[in-house]
Amino acid sequence: MLEIRSLVKIYPGPVSALQGIDLDIPVGMFGLLGPNGAGKSTFMKILAGLLEPTSGTVTWDGEEVLSQPERIWSRLGYLPQDFGFYPHLSGEAMLEYLLRLKGIDAPQGLKCLTAELLERVNLTFAAKRKVKGYSGGMRQRLGIAQAIAGDPALLIVDEPTAGLDPEERLRFYRLLTELAQDRTVVLSTHIVEDVAVLCPRFAVIRNGRLVASMTPSEARGALRGTIFEGSVSDDELRQLRDAGQVTQAILVEGRSRVRIRALPGTVRPGFEAVAPTLEDVYMVLMQNAREQSTAAGGQAQ
Amino acid sequence: MNRALRRAAQIGALEFGFHIRRPLLIVLVLLLGFTTYGLTSGNVRISTGDQSVGGKRAYVTSEHSITLTLCVVNFLFYTFFVAVASGMSVPRDEDLKVGEILHSTGLRPHEYVWGKFAGILASFAVVVAVQVLWMMIVYHLLPYDNADKLRGPFALLSYFKPVLVIVGPQLVFLAGLTFLLGERTRRPILVFLLPVAMLLFSAFFLWSWAPPWLDPRINRLLMWIEPAGFRWLSETLLKVDRGVEYYNTRAVAYDAPFLLSRALFVLAGLGAVEWSARHFGRSVRGQVSARGRRRARRAVASPVSAAATDADGGFESGGRTLAALAMRRLPQGLVREAWTIARFELRNLASSPGLYLFIPLILLQAIQAGYFATGPWGTRLLVTPGLFTSLTFDTLTLTIVLLLLFYTVESFDREHATGLYPIYASTSTRTGAMLLGKAVANCAVAVVILLAAWLGGAIIQLAQHQASMDLRPFLIVWGLLLVPTFLLWSSFVMALMAVIRNRYGTYALALAALIVTGLLQSRDKMNWVWNWDLWSTIRWSDMGLLEPNGWPLVLNRVLALLGSVFWIALTVRLFARREFDATRILHRLAPARMLRSSLRLLPYALPIIALAILLGMQVSNGFQSRAAKHRDRDYWKQNLGTWREAPVPAIAHLELDVGLQPRRHAIHSTGTFTFVNIDAAPLRKIALTLATHIRDVKWKMAGADYTPENRTNLFVFTPALALAQGDSLAISFDYATKFPDGITRNGGGMMEFIEPSGAVLTGFAPVLAPVVGYLEAIGVEPKENQFEPRVYPDDYYKGMVKASFNTRTPFTTHIRLHGPKEYTYNSVGTLVDEHVEGDERHAEWVSDHPVALFNIVAGKWAVKRGTGTAIYYHPGHTYNIDEMSHALDAARRYYSEWFYPYPWNELKLSEFANLASYAQGFATDITFSEGIGFLTLSDPRARTAFMVTAHEAAHQWWGNLLVPGDAPGGDILSEGMAHFSTLMLDEQMNGLQGRTEFAKRIEERYGENRNVDAERPLVKIDGSKTGDTTVMYDKGGWVFWMLQNVMGRDHNLAGIQAFLKNRLANPDHALLQDFVEELRPFAPDSTAYDAFTKQWFFTVVVPEYEFQAVKKTQDGDHWTVTGTVKNQGTGTMPVEVAATRGERFEKQTPDQAKQGPAAVTKDYSEQRTTVTPAAGQSAEFKLECPFEPQLVVADPDAKVLQLRRKNALFRL
Repeated sequence: MLEIRSLVKIYPGPVSALQGIDLDIPVGMFGLLGPNGAGKSTFMKILAGLLEPTSGTVTWDGEEVLSQPERIWSRLGYLPQDFGFYPHLSGEAMLEYLLRLKGIDAPQGLKCLTAELLERVNLTFAAKRKVKGYSGGMRQRLGIAQAIAGDPALLIVDEPTAGLDPEERLRFYRLLTELAQDRTVVLSTHIVEDVAVLCPRFAVIRNGRLVASMTPSEARGALRGTIFEGSVSDDELRQLRDAGQVTQAILVEGRSRVRIRALPGTVRPGFEAVAPTLEDVYMVLMQNAREQSTAAGGQAQ
Repeated sequence: MNRALRRAAQIGALEFGFHIRRPLLIVLVLLLGFTTYGLTSGNVRISTGDQSVGGKRAYVTSEHSITLTLCVVNFLFYTFFVAVASGMSVPRDEDLKVGEILHSTGLRPHEYVWGKFAGILASFAVVVAVQVLWMMIVYHLLPYDNADKLRGPFALLSYFKPVLVIVGPQLVFLAGLTFLLGERTRRPILVFLLPVAMLLFSAFFLWSWAPPWLDPRINRLLMWIEPAGFRWLSETLLKVDRGVEYYNTRAVAYDAPFLLSRALFVLAGLGAVEWSARHFGRSVRGQVSARGRRRARRAVASPVSAAATDADGGFESGGRTLAALAMRRLPQGLVREAWTIARFELRNLASSPGLYLFIPLILLQAIQAGYFATGPWGTRLLVTPGLFTSLTFDTLTLTIVLLLLFYTVESFDREHATGLYPIYASTSTRTGAMLLGKAVANCAVAVVILLAAWLGGAIIQLAQHQASMDLRPFLIVWGLLLVPTFLLWSSFVMALMAVIRNRYGTYALALAALIVTGLLQSRDKMNWVWNWDLWSTIRWSDMGLLEPNGWPLVLNRVLALLGSVFWIALTVRLFARREFDATRILHRLAPARMLRSSLRLLPYALPIIALAILLGMQVSNGFQSRAAKHRDRDYWKQNLGTWREAPVPAIAHLELDVGLQPRRHAIHSTGTFTFVNIDAAPLRKIALTLATHIRDVKWKMAGADYTPENRTNLFVFTPALALAQGDSLAISFDYATKFPDGITRNGGGMMEFIEPSGAVLTGFAPVLAPVVGYLEAIGVEPKENQFEPRVYPDDYYKGMVKASFNTRTPFTTHIRLHGPKEYTYNSVGTLVDEHVEGDERHAEWVSDHPVALFNIVAGKWAVKRGTGTAIYYHPGHTYNIDEMSHALDAARRYYSEWFYPYPWNELKLSEFANLASYAQGFATDITFSEGIGFLTLSDPRARTAFMVTAHEAAHQWWGNLLVPGDAPGGDILSEGMAHFSTLMLDEQMNGLQGRTEFAKRIEERYGENRNVDAERPLVKIDGSKTGDTTVMYDKGGWVFWMLQNVMGRDHNLAGIQAFLKNRLANPDHALLQDFVEELRPFAPDSTAYDAFTKQWFFTVVVPEYEFQAVKKTQDGDHWTVTGTVKNQGTGTMPVEVAATRGERFEKQTPDQAKQGPAAVTKDYSEQRTTVTPAAGQSAEFKLECPFEPQLVVADPDAKVLQLRRKNALFRL
């Protein structure tokens, strides 16, 4: 179990990237949701021991790890959001080098293990090719291969599916699910659907603050009976948006099909109650957080 | 403006704006600003003019001076900055990932590349403009030392021309070349290392390598291909001094080939940019080369790659779970982890093209330093393993230190630059292992270079066919002394990276550290504590291991290793594997926390501090310490006024008993001088000088204990009765001391010493025995209290002139030497007894004929005996023994025939360790350092071992039998006559070719080292001015030779014999004027004699011949060659002109050379005539040849001293 307490990170500026995060991350898959710039990557970097926080503690199975990040590194699999490889090395050589750096071995030998891992991420065909010739997706898969190598007790993956096609994305999720059975996997993403599919628990952060931490069922349950769906004109859609009710809106045959949050009985005709999705929950949480900060700003004024 | 031009201009403006505001350029401008002001002190100047008080100086504002300054300074400073700005321009855009967006606009690759290049060039043009403007302000308006002498009139062209001809092509070429390198390779290390390699290659080779035997055509080619233009300037205008008037008033005379080469540099730079543009155009549009297309076609055709494609889908596990892979993380030791990193880094280095470019360059540098190393008088050295290691030490240090800097910084920056860092840093590998692995790999580069340099040394040795291979010097000098430098430097650079965490910041600080080190070295402010790179400290001797600096070297290297440990500890502590929090950094900088952090480093720092204090104390107690200087200065202060001109007695006899303990550097000297007053005036006081570190001396006067007045070790004896003319007085002394007294301050050698390898002590220095009178050299520092020499009236020679060496008339000696039995002890005179008692050897030397000077020398030698001669040499140095013995025998025989019969029994020559490079000829006892003669590369043509032996042997006559007077025109009778004797002996033994080779060599030295404005007539030469040495030795030798041609050999030798005989025991010591006067009666044509001596001894002249309008016409089987010889120099001499065909002399193998002089070849033909062009005049010549001539040459037999002899030749 990862226990994060009062985690604060202030960059010179000053810019508050994290403003006191308290979070427990149990064994299994844990999703971290948030808009761009919410502080997800900062949070992940701190967990991975690559960024010193301004204050706060992180314990893992009761052991404080911030002061001694090497305790984490020896059991960590990490896939950062932005990364690269030595461009002049082949994928195979690159992976093998990283396995050596991690002190990973296998009964079949490092070469075979490297080949098997490359096969896992479908890079066998490009194993001998220089990394500088890899596409974005191939590079991401090589990153995934090094992250999952060595049976890491803690796997931190930051936006792992960026650059992957839908099919690969699903396969990767299957792999993550397999891995999450007996270890902690922290998945940072801004794709709500990924969390909905994969994570038994998730947290939402916005502007460096924790907005919510719960299971998807709890989240959906909290909105049960308040989500309605219907088609509207552009003017009506604008009115609904102004009222802050819209959770999702898509165009279907030239008309806007929207999902709104409303109390039963206050919904206009044509709208039907539907089961809430995690995306509805996320949008509502964001909306609430915006209102709260506006209110806080008003009070401060 | 069309669209393309506008787009390119936009890119250019953007690039210009970026660079002009960049700290890089601001730093360059500041550096140039400070340097320009600093240069008013004349640090980069034409070596001309007269540096003595009131002497005429070269203006810093002349076109020549400005051209030289801009040429050197701009190449040194701009190279690196231009390379970084231009070479990193395209890679920077790639790093910033702006390329795709930029090139998706209408911008064309050519516009992009040329725009960028124009922007870069424009920004540096602005810097040049600022620099030149600042130069004008500093040189012409601001105050500086000696501005009244150094500031000439302002001329805009003096600045504009060098900018156009020298600086412009430099900039365009460098910028273009580095732009191409950066664009094509995208590798920063190549971009950074190229300018360094160019600088080193230019500074150590292209600028300076011009051995006398270099073919002028190759020399010209090197001038044209050297990008700075310095070689052309040096070889054409500066190397042979043209005088201050010339440099101050004339414009730089560029020749057409040089201007063409500068234009070609511009074209080469622009061509490189065009090449970049084309390559960039192909790469940006994803075009591939023909080879790439072929490779791609093969890949597509390959069944494997066709089947296995990306489209197969990812993350297939084939039903196996990850757990099935049974991966495990095993704890690894630090060494294994470090080895993983090191192995990877080494593989990476092995595939780095930079190494394959720069290692050969470094090797070339090292081999050049070793192969072309010259000893005294420009003689080539025989490369023994030890000599090679020490000769290449500084070059290897500098080049490898720079290489390590770049590779260390780049290897630490690599993970950040590639984006791997977050993955790399989150692995379980220890931080220490990461640092160690990279450091080991980078140091392995150094080791590889050393191994390659060793191979280079072995190749040189094989080529020279003489010295044998020995690994010990390599292991000692490179292994034990050089490797700690690399460890210290690498760890220092790593610590800088850890603290600064910025590539450019680290480069700046590390280079600053190197510059500070260099400044301290150049200003002589360095000592053993701070000399981390051991620059200029290593002298190798096969006879004594690292003498005289063994102990301080050991302490210094331990200090370096402890320093490495400290920097590594600091690096491990500060290396930011994770990003620090800014707020916490402030907390860490709080005094209490800083103190705690510092205390943690204390265990690493304490041993360094302790050792530095110990070493510092040894330096401050050493013989070059401030305290020792103060003692010497006190001697000077206390005694100069009273004792400098005080009369001294003559020595009648010396009894000397010397006990030596070489291992302890100890000497116990006991003896008695019997003095006699040979002057008419009574002598009331006698002063004796002892080295200022010698204490507790027991004195006796006339057999009774005596306490003389001690004036800072100038001991004044006052006999009860003044000594009348002919009276004598015995003064005895007894003291024990060490020599050297402590360690050196910063390495280097010493003229006299007692070291485990042996001992060299002379009567010149007041250690072996007291020296009579006041010694002018003690306590005088060149930059502090040196005064101009006394000016003597023209007829000074007519009075009584005292001797050069504080002695009056020859005296007898009885010298007993004793010390460890494994040494042999030599001194002046004849060995009358030698025996071993217990562990001590005793040797007793008695002068069989009076001597003017005395010395002792001890060593562990083998002996080669000749006819009345003996050579005592290090058993390993057999290379030139036969040639030296041959020369010594010949010298004894022929000098006796020519000048005066050798009066002593045996003439011996003893070798001493290379603690200083010199030779001295005491009566019967010549001493040679191993670098002279014994380790001279002597080929059949140059016969350098013969030459140096002949010169030193000549001092038995010129210096010992004739002791020159202590006034201008004195020493030339010693050194000039020794060179003249060498010329004679060379011709006697080695024929015309031998003599002409030596004559041309010393003539060239004279041309290069003379100082036109400070040069005085031979009768005025006293050794005090720049350029006096070459005039005294080389011109002196030549003029005596030319005089012999004027007088005829027999007349000349008869005159010399009479002169020498007259001076044998004469207390009135001879000057050149005496020589001229006393030889005159022997001249068959006194008018010609007077004309010659007036021209060459009493004025400064030297002709310089040049052929003009030379034509060859055929008439049947005859050819006619006509033309004129112009004398561009001064003086009027008849000079032969010869039209020749074929090689003149047979080429000889070393064995053939032993049989006799080289014969004239059968194919050689010549036709001669004589012309006498006066100074500035031309003389026509016509030669009828029964053969087709190939060459017209002035003075084919080297009979007339002249400048630029290589120009006095015309290929038909």
